[in-house]
Amino acid sequence: MTTTDAARVRAPLPAPASSRRRLAAWPLRESVVPILLAIEVLSFSLLSKQFLTLSNIDNVILNSVDLALIAAGLTLVIVLGGIDVSTGQALGVVAWCVGRLTLAGWPPLLVIVTAAGLGALMGTVNGIIISRLQVTAIIATLGTAGIWSTVLFALWGGSDLFAPPVTTYASIQRTFGLPTVAFFVLAAFAVLWFVSRYRAYGRHVYAIGNDAEGARLSGINVVRTGIISYAIVGLLVGLAAVVFMARVGVIQASSGGSLSLAAIAAVVVGGTSITGGRGSVVGTLWGVLFIAVLQNGVVLAGVPPLWNGVLVGAFIVIAVAVDVTTDRISAARRRGR
Amino acid sequence: MSTIAARPHRISYRLLSDRRAFLIALIAATGVVMSLLSPYFLHTDNLLNMTQFGAVVGLLALGQTLVILGGGGGIDISVGSTLSLCGVVMGVAVRHNVNVWVAALMTLVLGLVLGATNGVLITVVKVPALITTLGTLYLFGSGAEVIAGDTQITGFDRAGFSFLGHGVIAGIPTQVLLVLIPVYVGTAWIIGRGTYGRRVYETGNNDHALRLAGGSPSLVRFSLYCVSGLLAALGAVVTNSWLLIARANAGADFTLDSITIAVLGGTSIFGGRGRVSGTFLAVMLIVVLNSGLQLAGVAQSYQTGILGAVLIVSVLLNQLVTRRSGQRP
Repeated sequence: MTTTDAARVRAPLPAPASSRRRLAAWPLRESVVPILLAIEVLSFSLLSKQFLTLSNIDNVILNSVDLALIAAGLTLVIVLGGIDVSTGQALGVVAWCVGRLTLAGWPPLLVIVTAAGLGALMGTVNGIIISRLQVTAIIATLGTAGIWSTVLFALWGGSDLFAPPVTTYASIQRTFGLPTVAFFVLAAFAVLWFVSRYRAYGRHVYAIGNDAEGARLSGINVVRTGIISYAIVGLLVGLAAVVFMARVGVIQASSGGSLSLAAIAAVVVGGTSITGGRGSVVGTLWGVLFIAVLQNGVVLAGVPPLWNGVLVGAFIVIAVAVDVTTDRISAARRRGR
Repeated sequence: MSTIAARPHRISYRLLSDRRAFLIALIAATGVVMSLLSPYFLHTDNLLNMTQFGAVVGLLALGQTLVILGGGGGIDISVGSTLSLCGVVMGVAVRHNVNVWVAALMTLVLGLVLGATNGVLITVVKVPALITTLGTLYLFGSGAEVIAGDTQITGFDRAGFSFLGHGVIAGIPTQVLLVLIPVYVGTAWIIGRGTYGRRVYETGNNDHALRLAGGSPSLVRFSLYCVSGLLAALGAVVTNSWLLIARANAGADFTLDSITIAVLGGTSIFGGRGRVSGTFLAVMLIVVLNSGLQLAGVAQSYQTGILGAVLIVSVLLNQLVTRRSGQRP
């Protein structure tokens, strides 16, 4: 009994890449997005001369760093089998506070720490409602999305808040000709990748996403892991708010709201399974690039900006449909062996 | 089972255990409080206005209830966008001198097609409902913007079309008497009595058993998404007749509303449990709450936050009840 239980728990954990079966399934799934991205870059560079210029690449990166930070955290939550549709609204609230504190003359480092702390606190609220009180993630975060957007509306109070960037690191600083902030974001991805792959917490996230009951039986603290994951998303949302404020410079009543769905799109386009247990932050990085390039290239190619949503929506569905279908094919392949 | 369920005897528990009794008590309490707060609350104009708003949101909430009832992670985030797109397309048709009633019929067909699109992606391609409808939320919503092009579409006031949104029969708004109530009664009848209704509950409760018994959960779920699209289109027709303009963001707020109402009405988010009458009472409660808040001078944006809190609390309530009565959550 104990041995079969243990085997069942251990089995769904991603096997090392040396396994032949995994090698057989690998190229199909994980290379879909990079290939799509390459096709995308190629076609846009044919459609527009400005597309492959350094200033445009700079532009694409700077416009997607906040999205990248949110999506990185969101990957953990989705691997866990959850979802968070309140990230954009939470970002709006934190960004407003960031603007206010900057105007009040707080030192940059303190503003950033406060933003991260506030974000983590909001994430923890989600985590407690979802993991401790057992409210389905989509329902809980739909609810908090409504609450955060109302909080921002109350803070905003009828007048737009203009504020300078917290630090030039988040806006005009360049390293090797690219925005400095991009390197911080890459570092965040590297840390998350390492933690999710080589630390106990990260393995717990995958275990819970595959089989929550099995994970619980094998001694993993499911509730704590869940709360930590939502807190991490919140923390990254807080950092993203700093970048957002530096990029946009003004906070309005509905600021940030559209990022909620864009972040989910980036994660699922990047190949993370919405049903949990499978995916990685590396895939999400591809997903973010794919969506950022799409939104930029479409404008350069002369398509009216209104079409943006149509394309993003179509690509969410197409990417996941491709993912689900390749998954079924490789499952059939495995059975055939 | 019955001994466990019979254990708690307190009135509070009994009120909670039948969601409908609880909702009726809440509606009464909210109504009393609101009429004390504002002398206009029980005014005929206000009651009329309240129910006109309720007709649209009620149609969407019914579709949402059915989709969630079907289980398997069923949810339709795209209802609001479906309403927007249908409304705008109807506006364009009317602008091109199509008879309003013919345009309305076309709109219903469009809604059915949009719902079927969701249904195919979910049941045939097997993309999870959350992602499918998230994608189509973008797709339909932006589609509406592309078609409308930043403008409001007018010109609906033809062939007596505005009667549907503005008329009153025996003191009751036309859209409530001729659309909302018949749709609810019809759905309650179909879901509560017929074979199809039983299939829906079986799909939500245990789709594996239904499959073994020779039924097709996929087909049932597909039909539910079609119905949700159709009801959203009906909501678009009613909205156009009520406001006499079509806007690309007409349905933007309705997703949160419809899910809140479905869950508040006692529908389990995991499917298989819920009633049309519960959703109807939840619509009434939300409508009373909204209009009371409006009269009390609370801005629309604050209502979003209150609705969000109501959503979370009502799920917690659902769980409290299922845990107390010894059922599996």
